[in-house]
Amino acid sequence: MEKISRYILVFITILAFSIFLPEFYWMSFGKPIKSEFVLYSCIDNDFIISQGPKTTDNKGNKLTVQQKEQKLPLLNMRQLMLDGIFPDSINGVEMDPHVIGVHKSFFRSQPKDIVGPLPRIFPLFESESGRVKLELPNDFFRISWRMEFIDTETNSINEEKSRMFSAVLQKRGFAFPAKLIAGIPTTRKSCDEGYVVTDSDDQLFHIKMIKGRPYVQKVKKSDDLKFKHIACVDFRDKKYYSYMISNENEIYILTQDDYELIKFPIKGFNPEKEELRIFGDIFNYNIIRIGKNYINVDALNKKYEKIANYSNSWSSRDEKTEGKVFSYIFPAQISMFSGYTDFVNFYFTRTKGFNWLIFNILLVFAHFMIIKPRKVNYKNHLIDFSLIFITGIFGFLSVNLFQNKFFK
Amino acid sequence: MWKSIIYKEWLKVRWYLIAATLLLGIFVSYMFINVQHTIAFMQANNYWNVIVFRKEQYFHLIKYLPLLIGIGIAIAQYVPEIIQKRIKLSFHLPNNENKIILTMMGFGNLSLLACFSIVFLIFVGLSNYFFPYEIVNEAIVTILPWFIGGLAGYSLVSLIVLEPIWKYKMFYMVVAALFIPIYYESGVSGAFEPINFKLTIIALLISVSLLFSAYRFRKGEM
Repeated sequence: MEKISRYILVFITILAFSIFLPEFYWMSFGKPIKSEFVLYSCIDNDFIISQGPKTTDNKGNKLTVQQKEQKLPLLNMRQLMLDGIFPDSINGVEMDPHVIGVHKSFFRSQPKDIVGPLPRIFPLFESESGRVKLELPNDFFRISWRMEFIDTETNSINEEKSRMFSAVLQKRGFAFPAKLIAGIPTTRKSCDEGYVVTDSDDQLFHIKMIKGRPYVQKVKKSDDLKFKHIACVDFRDKKYYSYMISNENEIYILTQDDYELIKFPIKGFNPEKEELRIFGDIFNYNIIRIGKNYINVDALNKKYEKIANYSNSWSSRDEKTEGKVFSYIFPAQISMFSGYTDFVNFYFTRTKGFNWLIFNILLVFAHFMIIKPRKVNYKNHLIDFSLIFITGIFGFLSVNLFQNKFFK
Repeated sequence: MWKSIIYKEWLKVRWYLIAATLLLGIFVSYMFINVQHTIAFMQANNYWNVIVFRKEQYFHLIKYLPLLIGIGIAIAQYVPEIIQKRIKLSFHLPNNENKIILTMMGFGNLSLLACFSIVFLIFVGLSNYFFPYEIVNEAIVTILPWFIGGLAGYSLVSLIVLEPIWKYKMFYMVVAALFIPIYYESGVSGAFEPINFKLTIIALLISVSLLFSAYRFRKGEM
């Protein structure tokens, strides 16, 4: 029994060390890895690449700050106007600041927006209140076995409203409960467009409240098309309600009013591991996907056709000197946080290769030297030796903190 | 005999346990007075909005309290035992030594569980009064590791107190200082869902760890 209790202590110590020692190591020696900032230039019809203060065009020519601003005039409009060099027209299109502003859009989606503790109750705004300012309603809704409105003051169900909305949803063929509910739950938006929702049969609905009454629109789509993530947007051009990611990792947009689903010609997107950024302007969309040590940018025209692609990768943390030293010391690392989700867990990452094996064998030998003077029966220490051999520094420290000293 | 052992443990911790339960209760009551006050001043819908979308934790005040209580119970229970090595008397009883230690440990854990359960139930009850189950569920998922951490803290501090050699006491303190923060990582509300079960299993495993230092103590390790 005492021996078991010792191994439990050794086990939790290994766990604690494998979380905190690598963390201390990276805190002391880790250096930031700068990603690139890449945008398609409507002047060059090619990509402009910035990394830190350094900017080049796609052919590798260095650009000054002013040259960069001139190559990306729509992004740097205010600065160029201040300098008095903003062009009157680009590619034959007259440059009207108001029109440029209307077409400008930015969207960002991270893996943790898809996997993590996500909200399950939402406020349903009045879409046509006749007021300029939006008001946060006094109730929140959930869509479980029906659509329920919970009064925030009394924390009780508003039966009348719940029945009214549930009945309309049912009439439109909604299969309860909802799988995804996406909207913009803030009063800081230009107007309210309600929520885009998928039901338990993966059907797609648009739900909003107009003058206190439910507005429910079922979106036509093929049964095979299922979505795993929806993010609503509030862009000034009012072209679409949301960006959507299908189970096959394709990117769609849901157009406003006519409810058309348009697929972007993007392949190989991994939403659980890549950050997605979409910059839109009067000429193009830049679909930027950023992974751990790579970037992939597709430029689309306004008809959503691909016109150019840029991709690049750089050394990851493991390939740099500090990463190589790490690979000799630590056989693995456990983290409580992952860059891909807000969920806390024990995320185990094995160190690539077997460089650590040399150090582990040295530690086994060191442990042998430590216990040798005690004239012990080595058979009783086989588990300790195995632990050091497998877990290296973590095991070595742990078995020596909780010494294998038992008396007859 | 066993009754006497349990009675001895009760005598050691009773006032401390009652005070700890009251203290936790006062903190929880204060938390909900604060909730009521916030609702009155910023309106319930705004407060719900902040909790759901900005992940504000209305219960953050009690975060380290279960840990402090766990450590306190361990000290109240085991420090008297090492003064003049009184625990050796228990080891001379005609009972299995490990059983005695496990009984003491079990009593400590059950006392803590009783204290935590009372407060936890009050917390859930009051949360349900103010908030829908989506918010309450996230709150439970978030505070659970804090309470389990209290149990783990109790076990590890007991181990440290009973360890006979100061050098090892210090080593164990380092281990505890590295291990206990696992239960107090600052995740967003609901983030601990995938790990709570694992944290509970580990806390249960540690609860028998006291046997190790008790063994070293009774074998006269110096």
